[in-house]
Amino acid sequence: MEQKKRGFRFYADIYKKILIQDLKSKMSYRADFIISTFGMIMTNLAGFVTFLILFKNFPSINGWDYYHMLFLYGFSLVALTPVQCFFDNNWNLRFMVQSGDFIKYCFRPVNVFFYFMSEVFDVKGLGQLAFGVGTLCYAWYHIGIPVTVLTILKLILFLITASLFMIAIMNAAAATCFWITGSGYVMVIMFRFKDFAKYPASIFSGIFRVVFTFIIPIAFVAYYPSLVLLEPANVPLLSWLSPLIGLLFFYLSYKFWMLGVKKYDFTGS
Amino acid sequence: MNPKKLLALTKAGIMESLQFRLGTFVTLFANLIYLVLVYYLWKAIYASAGTDRVGGMTFTDTMIYLILATALFNFLEMFVVWDMSRSIQSGKIILDLLKPMRFRTYTFWSYSGSHVVSFLLTFIPTFIVVMIVTKGAIHMGLNLLWFALATIFALIINFNIEMLVATVCLYTESTWGINIVKETIVLLLSGASIPVAFFPETFRRIVEYLPFRAIYDIPLRILLEKSGTDTLQGLLPLYSLQLVWILLLIIAGNLFWNSSVKKITVNGG
Repeated sequence: MEQKKRGFRFYADIYKKILIQDLKSKMSYRADFIISTFGMIMTNLAGFVTFLILFKNFPSINGWDYYHMLFLYGFSLVALTPVQCFFDNNWNLRFMVQSGDFIKYCFRPVNVFFYFMSEVFDVKGLGQLAFGVGTLCYAWYHIGIPVTVLTILKLILFLITASLFMIAIMNAAAATCFWITGSGYVMVIMFRFKDFAKYPASIFSGIFRVVFTFIIPIAFVAYYPSLVLLEPANVPLLSWLSPLIGLLFFYLSYKFWMLGVKKYDFTGS
Repeated sequence: MNPKKLLALTKAGIMESLQFRLGTFVTLFANLIYLVLVYYLWKAIYASAGTDRVGGMTFTDTMIYLILATALFNFLEMFVVWDMSRSIQSGKIILDLLKPMRFRTYTFWSYSGSHVVSFLLTFIPTFIVVMIVTKGAIHMGLNLLWFALATIFALIINFNIEMLVATVCLYTESTWGINIVKETIVLLLSGASIPVAFFPETFRRIVEYLPFRAIYDIPLRILLEKSGTDTLQGLLPLYSLQLVWILLLIIAGNLFWNSSVKKITVNGG
């Protein structure tokens, strides 16, 4: 394990260098950049309009009122930002694997997963972040959650936690392309499920509650982590455990991804 | 135009999509999971509403509407925008333009095969499952025939919107951005993410005249026999709206395409 010794600074340094290259190349397509950012804002606006229409017809969902739902919504948007910004290259994985270009990552003396992901930083995700933070603050203010160092720290910790789950889902979905040619639809489907992350998972019952908690963990993308702030009086055990479960999911998805790389190494020639 | 030529394209399309059978089945499976999500979400929403009829829609209506909207979405989905930008980049578009057939006709018919396959392998099974789950809530009668006709019109409208957007891409070199803007607008204003019946009054009035609603809302309304579509007087305005938009979009699309195609520059041409 030579890579471990190089430590965090080494990787941070590389990441910065690759990032600058990526941004430079993006800047050369300015029109694309502007239209994409506009598109991202449109998506978020449309999601918000859907949300408003829903609440115009129905005053509450499963005991959750407007502001609590808004909180969940904002929380999920912020939690979905890291996967958008840092792990967007997953969408290109299947093309690279299919065309054989992926082999270039295997020849570099750095971690393949790290190198692959570092190649793309998706600036559009920042628009979503701004939108999410705005929504979250607005809902936070109206619910009247106290602003203390502790609540802020909790918010940050559990936002990071929540983001791990979506990253894990997308890693695993992308990695299927090592085994199945043209498995883009798996990613598309998983990406669509994320739209349900902004609803309280308490609406599910029975077997499906288990499925959406532990198999396709969308219940962790907003619901469980945000309960720590929304219901400080009775936080379920799963909420407290979510950081650990998140790390575990991330680790498993990483292992699965790397297993695919190994398999690719053997077949690609 | 020789119909034999067109059917040959359909056949080729069918064979091509059967290559990716697995994708079709995963999509079907995902639709079933989606069905579960929609079921639980709307069950909770209707339970909180206190009434069983909101905006003229019962819980079962809403569920059938949204699930079949998703199934229609999978069925109607075309990657014209993506395929066009890729074939411009690779230069393949020149070969298509040189074919002894009008480009728009050629594109439409080469996608028709995949529509046939996805209709049979994902839409029909999803429809059957919905029938079973809702215990036959969909009325089995002439409405199925009217629905089929409206869906064919919807397909043509969808294709024309796709072609228009793809033509825009000839100018902007931005595929992702343009595509996401299109998708967002279509999904929101067509009723695919939330039934048009729930829209606020004035907003709905405007949306009802737009072409997007003709893709999902009109066929589904006809299938569910909403707003008087069980009579011919109710059906005619909807069909006329679809036909007027087909006409307008074909004219606009042709003019736009014919003037844009001259501007295509392909590397190494």
